[in-house]
Amino acid sequence: MSEFDPHALAEEDFLEEVRSVDFWFQAVDGYLRDRSYGRVDGTPEPVMEAGERDNLITTLCNYCVGETAALEASSGLVVIAPNRHAKIFLATQVLDEARHLEVFIRRLSDLGVEDPEHEIELRANPNLVRFKDRLLEFVADRDWDAAVFAQNVILETMEYTVFRAHLQDADPVTAQVLDGVVKDERRHLGFGENDLGRRLVAMPEKRERLAEVRAELDELVLVTFEEVQDSVGVERSARADLGGEYLAAVERLGLT
Amino acid sequence: MSTVEQPDRETELAELVEQHRARRAEGSERRHYDLDDRGFNEVPKKWRKFYRHWLGAGDTLAPNEIICPVCKVVIRSVKEIRAGDRLYCMPCMSRLLVVEADDGTLVPEVVY
Amino acid sequence: MADFLSQYSIQRWLEMCPQGYLEDTVYGHSPELKEPVILVGNETLREESIRTTVQLVVGERCALAASSGLVNAAPDFPSKRFLATQTLDEARHVEIFTRRLFDLGVKEDDLESTLDEFANPNLVKFAEVLLEKVEAGDFIAGVVGQNIVLEGMAFSVFEMLEAVSREANPKFAETLTGTIADERRHVGFGENRIGSLIREHPERKADVEKMQAEMTYHMLATFADSFRGNAAVVEETRAVAAAEGFGPETAEWHGTDLAAASPEEMEAILADTVLGEFKTRLGRIGLEYQSPPVPA
Ligand SMILES: [Fe+2]
Ligand SMILES: [Fe+2]
Ligand SMILES: [Fe+2]
Ligand SMILES: [Fe+2]
Repeated sequence: MSEFDPHALAEEDFLEEVRSVDFWFQAVDGYLRDRSYGRVDGTPEPVMEAGERDNLITTLCNYCVGETAALEASSGLVVIAPNRHAKIFLATQVLDEARHLEVFIRRLSDLGVEDPEHEIELRANPNLVRFKDRLLEFVADRDWDAAVFAQNVILETMEYTVFRAHLQDADPVTAQVLDGVVKDERRHLGFGENDLGRRLVAMPEKRERLAEVRAELDELVLVTFEEVQDSVGVERSARADLGGEYLAAVERLGLT
Repeated sequence: MSTVEQPDRETELAELVEQHRARRAEGSERRHYDLDDRGFNEVPKKWRKFYRHWLGAGDTLAPNEIICPVCKVVIRSVKEIRAGDRLYCMPCMSRLLVVEADDGTLVPEVVY
Repeated sequence: MADFLSQYSIQRWLEMCPQGYLEDTVYGHSPELKEPVILVGNETLREESIRTTVQLVVGERCALAASSGLVNAAPDFPSKRFLATQTLDEARHVEIFTRRLFDLGVKEDDLESTLDEFANPNLVKFAEVLLEKVEAGDFIAGVVGQNIVLEGMAFSVFEMLEAVSREANPKFAETLTGTIADERRHVGFGENRIGSLIREHPERKADVEKMQAEMTYHMLATFADSFRGNAAVVEETRAVAAAEGFGPETAEWHGTDLAAASPEEMEAILADTVLGEFKTRLGRIGLEYQSPPVPA
């Protein structure tokens, strides 16, 4: 038996461990230490055609919209989080999301965008912006369940799926940046599903409310997802199965 | 760079269950594994060898491995996995319970 | 603005903190260090340590709520990004001081009741004044209240605690040193970012100064409770510590030997130091320090 067998931990110890700032420090150290702004130093900037570059800029701008939504929502959630573990975890998520925004903005600058913040506004997908507004409304209303569902289940599943699909044929620098982001997102979507799952077991009456939220946001998410994949230029046949991953999560939570 | 894909879980888990059955039939002891670091760098060092990335087509699960349904990382145990085992996925913070499905395959269920 | 804020990138933060001064620490201290046996074993010393640590948790919880709450109110991405790093710093402070309570024997299930029991009501009021501004989305008042007033106070309190703990309790002293290093960034951001905003919005001065006076009032009341109002306990703790041979012979801080000073003297030196800091910092960003009414 190994000295540190995670599977042998008591449940409370496991949660205490994975939701701590200490765990976060050591976890991100593994994949961020050798990188600067998400990229490995010395990786040459790829040669790109104008059209390809422009598509990538549009995609990254929309990633920034999603990341801004996550940054503003996760920070707003710290204060309404129901317990100290959730507060601490969300604080690590706030930092993660700010980092994602930072690395994507940096990538936009690398690609020659002079005023990234302005460019993001110009190229933002209106459906995604609507999703962001709705998410921030949930936060402003202190609606923890709806906000965590919208952010950590819907938005994160979408990002997780899109980023991993994009990673497969991205240029090497963008791929490095995405790789680090995907690793962070794994924590976020896991937190969301587990927190909600726990609350739904304790309070099944919340299911109905979340099913409503889901019905409201589904379309926005799916349309955005299609449009983002259009801009990345993913062939229809090769598209990641958002429906599949998203539905699987929703099904595990019993929200179908 | 490795990418994470949905494995052909059914085939693999069916194989896995077959192996379990065979061993159980022989009355064999539950096998133990010495884990090695497979370069999974998303959790603190002391926990790293308990996880690895799914390598896509051509990759297979060992009897002490199972895929996290939430984040698709391969979770590894020091013991061969059997129904009733509790496993933790640290990368996504999920708690899993291994259950035997109707068809005899071992499936991780998320415990909330 | 953009130039000075560029030093507050997440990248730089990663290099400085987790990969810098916090590297190889566990909950803010070297893994092999523990709370001194005497402190955990002697009821008087233990209770005083719990009381002190509770105030730190209360202050850090307030800072966590404030820094995360201000992300949305921040007018630009670099400020949001800085506040994201501060949010994580504050969460870490909450975590390490909460850990210390556990190390001192507080049970996980008793955490909230212990906080309620020992939290100084004046410190709670101090936090409420700030959080009201944050809740209202008032970025200027929020940052002055958090990064100048709250942090300015925390900074001096941590320094003072570090000075008395350095020899007697290296574990606690190390956690404080890391915290002080974090707070330095926060105070720096407060001055730099708000200085320009106050120049742009001189009409906000009166309002922000009023908040500062209110917060200062509650802070001084907290100090009064902790030293003068608690003098008997402070003296008793010191006598017990001396009998046990625990604690430094001298602990020099701002020209005062904390090991020998009376509770009144300790309160005076802490209050003078913090108020002195307030005056200079507020002056630099174009605000005038407002004296609060003297607490009863
Ligand atoms: Fe993100
Ligand atoms: Fe995320
Ligand atoms: Fe997982
Ligand atoms: Fe702090």
